[in-house]
Amino acid sequence: MTEILHRSPAIAEVSGIVDPIRAGKKAGWNMQPASAFANDSLLSADVLIIGTGAGGGTAAEIFANAGLKVLMIEEGPLKSSDDFKMDEREAYHDLYQESAGRMSKDGAMSILQGRAVGGTTVINWTSSFRTPSHTLEHWAAEFGIQGMSPDEMAPWFAKMEERLGVALWATEPNKNNAVLRDGAQKLGVHWETIPRNVRGCWNLGYCGTGCPTNAKQSMLVTTIPSALEKGAQLVYSARVERLIFAGKKVLGAEIVALDEHHRPTATKLIAKAPQIILAAGAINGPALMLRSKAPDPHKLIGKRTFFHPTTFTFAEFADYIDPYYGAPQSVHSDHYQWQSVTGAVGFKLEVPPLHPGLTAVLLMGHGIQHFQDMQKLPHLHSMIALLRDGFNEQSQGGQIELESDGTPIIDYSINDYLWDGVVRSWQAMVEIQFAAGAKAVRVSHVDSPWYSTLEEAKAGIAKLSSRSNSFTAGSAHCMGGLIMGEDQTRSLVNSQGKYHHLDNLHVFDGSVFPTSIGANPQLTIYGMTCKNATALADKLKTA
Amino acid sequence: MSITTSRRGFMQLSATSMAILSMGAGFASLTGCSKLPAASGYQVLRAGDIEFLSALAPVVLAQSYPGTLSPEVAQERLMHMLDKLITTLQGYAQGQLMMLFDVVQSAPLRVAMDAQWASWAQASAADVERFLTSWKASAIPIKRMGYGSLSKLLCMCWYQQPETFASSGYPGMPKKVNITHPA
Repeated sequence: MTEILHRSPAIAEVSGIVDPIRAGKKAGWNMQPASAFANDSLLSADVLIIGTGAGGGTAAEIFANAGLKVLMIEEGPLKSSDDFKMDEREAYHDLYQESAGRMSKDGAMSILQGRAVGGTTVINWTSSFRTPSHTLEHWAAEFGIQGMSPDEMAPWFAKMEERLGVALWATEPNKNNAVLRDGAQKLGVHWETIPRNVRGCWNLGYCGTGCPTNAKQSMLVTTIPSALEKGAQLVYSARVERLIFAGKKVLGAEIVALDEHHRPTATKLIAKAPQIILAAGAINGPALMLRSKAPDPHKLIGKRTFFHPTTFTFAEFADYIDPYYGAPQSVHSDHYQWQSVTGAVGFKLEVPPLHPGLTAVLLMGHGIQHFQDMQKLPHLHSMIALLRDGFNEQSQGGQIELESDGTPIIDYSINDYLWDGVVRSWQAMVEIQFAAGAKAVRVSHVDSPWYSTLEEAKAGIAKLSSRSNSFTAGSAHCMGGLIMGEDQTRSLVNSQGKYHHLDNLHVFDGSVFPTSIGANPQLTIYGMTCKNATALADKLKTA
Repeated sequence: MSITTSRRGFMQLSATSMAILSMGAGFASLTGCSKLPAASGYQVLRAGDIEFLSALAPVVLAQSYPGTLSPEVAQERLMHMLDKLITTLQGYAQGQLMMLFDVVQSAPLRVAMDAQWASWAQASAADVERFLTSWKASAIPIKRMGYGSLSKLLCMCWYQQPETFASSGYPGMPKKVNITHPA
């Protein structure tokens, strides 16, 4: 341990970074917290956008470019590069839903979701995949989605890739990712390099605590500043309590100002606009629609909610892995993903960055054993499998419900169909870890010891229990709940994102996905939003 | 299905647990426990919650605790971090956690829920370990949920503290230096 104490990050200091938001504030951008307004203030615009993540941010720039007056409402605070200190203590509280403590109703699924201006794009790990063709084809066949074949989507993905600097990561992967590459290579398991949305990345490893160098091309540093530059308005720390309806129209939204602990205050605002865009994500969006008692003749709001339930295995190496440094995700494998589109659940392999607070949660357990595991951190590698939920009839997703105070409850469980995938993913990952030279492996399950051979690990994993709360099924991808389709008895928005039962409400975010994606979802949200928001903006301009 | 979550709350599947927890919540509200205000300087944690979590901390965190801090500073730091996090939990999760805290305040309910009779301030490390182990391995989902929530909250809040970095071997984050006078 003495040697460890003398180690330090390869890049010891991050300095000389201009904060674009602070610069914009000086330049007079129209952005305030809701608490800055007098109670009962009325805000108005041509387009009201609720949420500023991948969907809302993309839409804001498109509408502002079309010459429309845009009003963005964001529940989270406005934080920017001067605030991003690579420190878990501040980042989870400032940038994540429920301080990264968001979980499913039964406590078994930990959900990492952003809550800040820029949404989850501020804290994601930058992996930028086009929607897999199998997924788009499944949506067309099963849900009647039109105009979103792989060929039809390609130009929209290309446009957003260019906008956000998406490119294959050209630098050598960090050691955590190299384990996946090297182990897969030895076994003949197909792997690929990950495309990332970065420009001038410092390869630090702190995408998850807010990029301190503004290299990550999140909404916070791209589309939102661009919209503000063109006169859009941003009101943050502002939770939309309910939508106001008149017949088949949404008149506007009732907003409550939040305090520094993200709790409601007595200050309320009203926002009105002829066009409303819902982009509040797959948990808060459906919850808002339920609270507002939005028209829903087939009781579909909040149904078919998907999470890519994510399993974890750990491996101890003789060499340093330093899993907290370097671009967090640069290698992935779809080897186990599409063996069958609609059969046994497929999964994508990636690796997570391991910072100490998050690692302590993922290791599970307590006491001396947990402490000994934590002491392995510099030599620890972790691999994840994202289970592709929603493609099989035994995977209908979870459901968003409301607590008596109107906040969302996320009801999702790992059933036998998904448990089969959990076990297969653990087996696949430990095999790759041993092939890459691991001394020992364990899975994120309270009963898992360290296994020192593959045979021992495979036998041990087969005996682990599927009891809830005994293993990690995490999620960083919230999808569904306001799903897209052309059959009004099975879906809530059409292929253009328009809500079936309201004339002026569009949904532009991951809540419209009728299944999970089978890949990190940000580029799917960007591409779909770019397509649908552009069509809507063209319509509004000619109207 | 290995898990059933049809009914609201903490208290499904096991009639015994359900009765105990309803009783616990009822008992707590009768004695006014759940209506106690937050401890001075805290947003949500009450004195009894702090006593309970403080008893758990050295057992859950083992030799990493109190790290390079004095026991008093470590306890104070950890409790405020927990308070800050629990404050931001939304209605359902926070309600469940506070209900759990209510139940473990009462000696008869503690015993019924596999913990010791003695108060948390007087509980031995062995008492706390027995309680944690029985909840971790329980056949009753709400106890496993309780174990998972408590251990994760304590570990997450603790290992973020720079004073624990020496025990995890994390060399720490790069230093961030902001431009003080932008051109």
